[in-house]
Amino acid sequence: MMRKKILFALFLIFPFIFTACDSKSPEHNNRVIIGISADVNIFNPLFTISVDEGAITELLYLSLFDYRWNEVKGGIEAGPMLAKRWEWAVDSSSLKIFLRDDVYWTDGTPLTADDIVFTFDVYSDPIVQSRLYGTFEDLFVDEDNHIDVSKTFSVNSSFEFEVNFPANSVPNLDVISPSIIPAHIFRDLKRDELSYSEQNFKPVSSGSYYLKKWDKNQTITLAANKSSFLYDEDQIDEIIFKVDPDYTSKIIQLKKGKIDLLELVKVEDIEELKSNSELKIVPVIGREYDYLGLNNIDADAYSNGEVVPNKYFGSGNVREAITYAINREEILNERLLGYGEIAATPVSSIFKSVFNDNVKPYQQNITKAKNLLASEGWDDVDQDGILEKENEEFSFTLYYPSGNPLREFASMRVQNNLKAVGIDIKLEVVELGTLIEFLFERKINAWMLGWYIPIPVELKPYWYSDLESTPLNFANYRNVKVDSLLDLLQTNIPAEKRTEIIKTFQKMIHDDEPVSFLYWVPNICVYNKRIAKINITPLGTVSHCWEWRLQ
Amino acid sequence: MEIAIKNSPEKLFIATEKQTGKAFAKRFLTSLITLFLLVSLIFVFVRLSPGDPTKKYVSAQLSPELSQKISEKFMLDKPVIEQYFAFLLNSVKGDLGVSYNFRQPVMKVVWEYFSFTLVFSTLSIFLQIIFSFSLAIFVARRKNTFLNKAVSDFSLFIYSIPSFVLGVFLIYLFSVVLNLFPISGLKSLDYDSFSFWGKILDQAWHLALPLITLSAAGTAMFYKYIKEGMDDVLHQSYILNLRSSGVKEKVILKKHVIPNAISPLISVAGIELGVLLGGALITEVIFSLPGMGRLTVNSILTRDYPLIIGCVLTAGIVMIIANYLADIIKIKFDKRLLKGLLN
Amino acid sequence: MKFKLKIIHWLTLLWLLLIVFQHEVLFQYLSLWFGYAKLFFVDFSEAIDVLSLKLVNVILSLKLFVFLPALYIIFRKKWIFLQGNLNFSYALLSLLIWILIFAPIITDENPEFSKNLAVTKLLPPFSSVKILHLAGELESSQSEKEKFHMRLNQTVKPAFNERIIFADSVIVSESVVYFQKTQKSELQKNELLLKNGEPFIQNKYFLLGTDEYGRDSFARLIYGTRISLFVGFGAVVLSFIIGIILGFIAGYSGGIFDTVLNRFTELFLSFPVIYLIVLILALFGSSLFSVIIVLGISGWMTLFKIVRGEVVSIKQRDFLISAESIGLKKSQLLAKEILPVILAPVIVNLVFLFSNVILAEAALSYLGLGTGNLYPSWGAMINSGQEYIYKAWWMIAFPGAALILTLFAANSSGRRINKIINPRLDK
Repeated sequence: MMRKKILFALFLIFPFIFTACDSKSPEHNNRVIIGISADVNIFNPLFTISVDEGAITELLYLSLFDYRWNEVKGGIEAGPMLAKRWEWAVDSSSLKIFLRDDVYWTDGTPLTADDIVFTFDVYSDPIVQSRLYGTFEDLFVDEDNHIDVSKTFSVNSSFEFEVNFPANSVPNLDVISPSIIPAHIFRDLKRDELSYSEQNFKPVSSGSYYLKKWDKNQTITLAANKSSFLYDEDQIDEIIFKVDPDYTSKIIQLKKGKIDLLELVKVEDIEELKSNSELKIVPVIGREYDYLGLNNIDADAYSNGEVVPNKYFGSGNVREAITYAINREEILNERLLGYGEIAATPVSSIFKSVFNDNVKPYQQNITKAKNLLASEGWDDVDQDGILEKENEEFSFTLYYPSGNPLREFASMRVQNNLKAVGIDIKLEVVELGTLIEFLFERKINAWMLGWYIPIPVELKPYWYSDLESTPLNFANYRNVKVDSLLDLLQTNIPAEKRTEIIKTFQKMIHDDEPVSFLYWVPNICVYNKRIAKINITPLGTVSHCWEWRLQ
Repeated sequence: MEIAIKNSPEKLFIATEKQTGKAFAKRFLTSLITLFLLVSLIFVFVRLSPGDPTKKYVSAQLSPELSQKISEKFMLDKPVIEQYFAFLLNSVKGDLGVSYNFRQPVMKVVWEYFSFTLVFSTLSIFLQIIFSFSLAIFVARRKNTFLNKAVSDFSLFIYSIPSFVLGVFLIYLFSVVLNLFPISGLKSLDYDSFSFWGKILDQAWHLALPLITLSAAGTAMFYKYIKEGMDDVLHQSYILNLRSSGVKEKVILKKHVIPNAISPLISVAGIELGVLLGGALITEVIFSLPGMGRLTVNSILTRDYPLIIGCVLTAGIVMIIANYLADIIKIKFDKRLLKGLLN
Repeated sequence: MKFKLKIIHWLTLLWLLLIVFQHEVLFQYLSLWFGYAKLFFVDFSEAIDVLSLKLVNVILSLKLFVFLPALYIIFRKKWIFLQGNLNFSYALLSLLIWILIFAPIITDENPEFSKNLAVTKLLPPFSSVKILHLAGELESSQSEKEKFHMRLNQTVKPAFNERIIFADSVIVSESVVYFQKTQKSELQKNELLLKNGEPFIQNKYFLLGTDEYGRDSFARLIYGTRISLFVGFGAVVLSFIIGIILGFIAGYSGGIFDTVLNRFTELFLSFPVIYLIVLILALFGSSLFSVIIVLGISGWMTLFKIVRGEVVSIKQRDFLISAESIGLKKSQLLAKEILPVILAPVIVNLVFLFSNVILAEAALSYLGLGTGNLYPSWGAMINSGQEYIYKAWWMIAFPGAALILTLFAANSSGRRINKIINPRLDK
């Protein structure tokens, strides 16, 4: 009996022992802990997929240029990184790059022009299937889109080389901006097995931090690379990415100071986090928008090879009416609590120089929506609350992806709002992969989805009429005038002209309303104020973390 | 798996059939066939479903050619039959392919997650047996009908709480309000700097809530089985004989009742272990644990075909092995019981 | 003699409670019913035309509400189960079935109704808001059909109504000023529905609070009970049919059929079925019916074993041969000879299966693979409530409690029935 009582007493104090052992963590304060939702699967810039993978890998592998966000201009600017300076030829047909000579891979090998040439060879190799395959049209490529290394690069010395651009291309720095990989490590590996080689998990890197420890599904520990040219003594010793799929858990750790930085914080939590004096909240708007997708062409006819306007959404007036009927303010205020922005076009307001602020989003206006629909022949003849045209009811299925509460919310609100103008929506939730397949096959009428927008602005893949070459034009938007603008953007034109074209494009898109643009989703970053000199921009949070300091 | 736990009494039907060596051999063969059928079924399901893994990573750069090339790489452009035979051939060679998500061999990924599940579910089974057994003996010693009824009602109540309700409640109470346990994760950040005992304590501290969540329903179920087994024996006439001939109650409990109650327990425990080894899905989701359950569901949701089949195959094999073990142990116990009675 | 509470007393109490608290609703439904009957004679084709699921639902509930007591009085000798002694689990199960049948009478709110989120979002239990009714267009020269349409829309509330406005507070003076959160708006009196010359302003109470869409949690819980039980019954019936038929075929025909079906059963038993369910739902999409079907086809194995075992053992006995010789068909054989024998274990099994299915549906919804947010099932409510656990405990607490109590009631009834059938354990 006595024994049992002791056991029972032990059982009771159990938690307190543990709490005690938790509080005595060693003096290890020169580190920053960043909460992420999912473990990374790879440390190789050739194959990264998730945002976190990309961010971490870019820290490990430097690229030729250092991109920074220019708040005033609303765009990115290239600065020196591996390339300490560069010179354009007078006719812009070639670019001479001078590399730093003090960059070493973590195994001690120097980084040379050889690595650069090798990197672009691998990126564009069809066998490798890197994430950037097919994006090097501005360089000399063969019919497989493989870069012709001998034509493109002329290496003068280990630290000096030239990039040559073909005659009809748009010479730019961006095309050679991806992270550089070590040739001496990857050269001997078989190219078709690169994507699952061991080297993807034990990176030999060049950045200001190196991978110190990877505890799968728990933590990714990056430590300062003391031999890096970026290193200085005040740099934070360790950047730790802590994997925790549970959102609530991360928020609690953020409040307790066990996580120093967290992205994608939900707006509902902001009020409470604001009261915590140690935390700073930075909303980043303008990287992602959600929209109500409307198929502009008839799905059945398309599967038979014809392009016919959609019976519901074929007319711009109907699409405009739908946008007029949706109470986007309510979604913004009640769900996003005022963070975020109403979207009028696919061009984000962060691109200050090209953003057209004369284009104002449609304000909710039920009467106007009803009138527009009536002008297109939609009328509630049988008084059952749903519009008809030629004996067909305005009733369609809206597909939305599972696992995204915001889009689910928007879908339900859209369904509710459109009832007011007599449009009946059936909702159906499908898994994201399935939904995207539907969209590639162009076989559904309406869907709820979002786009994460690239920097700098990229429009042609999403809005160009040729449906064969632009699988991402899910809405099947077709407008010859818009096409000619988009074609112009692909040519070598001066910056002012570019700006003007993009502004006109926004006006035209707004008039046509190919889909109902809903809102720009805010990415709310919260960090502990002990991190100083942190600059959160649309480019990401950790991109220059070697410049952070601890207070 | 919590849902399946509640199925397991049904599964007794296979386990309670008497098995001889020959029957074991026969069963081994049929198990192989079952596994084959299982994998084929999953293969067909997966390949017939809509959704294409190559289309998941949509970006502006994804040209039709590239997506075509990825399809070719994964043999997704070939007819299903051809894919199926290629897959079977590779499986026999022990090569389940490479996971799309992890870019590592399926076997390696599965092993990483399975090793966690192995430790986690074995611990849970031990906890379940220890707690239910002590409780049953505690109740049996006191011939108190009210206590008996109260405990049995309470165990039924515990059994009726879905693990996702229990888990959310435990987190809310112990982690958020009382701040005693961590919400998720397996170890502290400074785990490496701890002493040996510190490490063990740290792990126990992190696993406490998940283990309670995972074990609660099972403990209640075990309690019912043990209690029924004991009651069965207690009402046998030979126990009455023993009692009337003055054998102490304690001795009767130890020598006759407990061994008899163990037998059904073991077969249930074997199946339960098999089920848990397949992955404690809900618990793993609530506490974000890296186990087979979450791996399986994630692989399904992301359409990681090779990994789905790897996970399913593992779960099937584990279930079958657990059934075997349960049977073998039960036969051992029966023999001992037989001997004990003869003496 | 001591008075013992019986199930019928409990049901009578519930019936009276509905009359006391919901007499207005009952009255409205009654007049709707008569209106429909009238329309039926006046304009038959139109009556068929307006027949919708919502209308059938309301009228069916109402008919049962009126006729069930009468039926009980006629059949009270046959319905002996109603004379059983009441205990906690029986009370709960009968309450659930009560809700299943009378949901539209218990609450006349539409579980999907959502409007003015700024006012109605995430309200705690027992809160109330003001309702302003906008003046409608004056209806003139109504035909029977139009009258009925109007009455239908007033009685059976739709998920959307543009004629009402929710407000936090209202001030009536020369004009009507109402507040929605911080926003102040103004309406002229003649824009509003008037009652005795004054604007008609009602209070709307949310008994169990509202969810993130401002929908009434009480109505959702009531209709959620329907969905959850519907999934439960549907899947159990499906399992029952599959199990019985396959078991009979396997046991009766033996040979290759028997072997194949046994292998198949073992296949299902040797694998954590949840993954199969997740796999099918994730790959092929989940809807109310796919959930029922998938859960149904994953639970038939035990029934199969019971039926097959019984058929095999009966086959060896003499009376089967005599039954066959007098020309009984196979289906008659199944119904007359086999089902009665296995009825007891099958019932116990079905009860446990029922609780399993309800749990599984909730678990699937928790994982985001259930019937989805389109229907208010308990699992879906728990799933969305979990996101708001720190702000709106009521969103998860009530459906969670409903789930636990239902499972407890089902499990304990199952055990109870099992004990009655297998008295072995009870000395």
